[in-house]
Amino acid sequence: MKVICVIPAYNEAERLGPVLAGVAPRVDSVVVVDDGSSDRTAEIAAAAGVKCLIHPINRGQGAALKTGTIYALKQGAGVIVHFDADGQFRAEEIKKMIEPILAGRVQVVLGSRFLDRSNSGGIPRFKSRVIIPLARLFNRFFLGVKLTDPQSGFRALSAAATEKLDWRQDGMAHCSEILSLLARSGLPFEEVPITVVYHRFGQRLGGGIKIIRDLFIARLIN
Amino acid sequence: MLQQIIALIVVAYFLARLFWQKQKGQIAAGEFVFWLFFWLFSALAIVSLKAIDRLVAGLGFSASGIQVLLYLSIAVLFYLLFRLRLRLSKMDQDLTKIARALSMKDNSK
Repeated sequence: MKVICVIPAYNEAERLGPVLAGVAPRVDSVVVVDDGSSDRTAEIAAAAGVKCLIHPINRGQGAALKTGTIYALKQGAGVIVHFDADGQFRAEEIKKMIEPILAGRVQVVLGSRFLDRSNSGGIPRFKSRVIIPLARLFNRFFLGVKLTDPQSGFRALSAAATEKLDWRQDGMAHCSEILSLLARSGLPFEEVPITVVYHRFGQRLGGGIKIIRDLFIARLIN
Repeated sequence: MLQQIIALIVVAYFLARLFWQKQKGQIAAGEFVFWLFFWLFSALAIVSLKAIDRLVAGLGFSASGIQVLLYLSIAVLFYLLFRLRLRLSKMDQDLTKIARALSMKDNSK
């Protein structure tokens, strides 16, 4: 089964090289989606010898992931891995992320920073004590999803699952939307403990509020 | 009375502008009809302030007719703002579709 890793990247020239060096040997191919970067992100990807799709303007992580996923499906991917470009995930954990799908147990695997507490020590305290619990509550009561990690970007999807999880959120709300679609689809899934190395704070409280707003507007227009 | 005349002049100005825009083909027919009715209704409300006062009092409001019109206009403004937000979101989605199509077509390395 062909495994393709999709990496959305926005101004990640500094960290993308080592990420690609770690990921490329572990999958059949890698697709970087340069989301309108103003730095050398696309050049770094091209130099690493991986496919690079370029959004002419910045459209957000959800949009970039979707572009890469559509491309991966066209390339005949059996399993699609979503991975971050900033080096916060560990490439060696791709193997355990795709294993449940390759074994035919589930269709979707979600990385969780909280299943193994020893792996989540680097998460900023405000994030782990306030933002994440609030996001978890929101997901549980408004999206109907009960998971340990409400906002993990490290996931693996079978091709069949990808076609069912048709997310439309261009920004960071895609994470919650995918979980919501997953809950409604009834697709079998599994959470797998992952390690996260924090280089920056990431999603802040304001970002969380923006996610809720985007999801609300999406409900109204779709 | 003077205030009503000034308000009517303002409405007349916007109506004239509306017809000018229609003549230049700058607005769609649907939009033209919407704004035409909007300004005609505004003019009607201005000349019928006394009747609106009576109507508002009859409905049990303590405010005068002009105040009720003001409240209504704020509600309408919020609604229009909301519609605008939805439209922007739709345009955002269309932009993404274009960016995606371009990236797949020839903007790749």
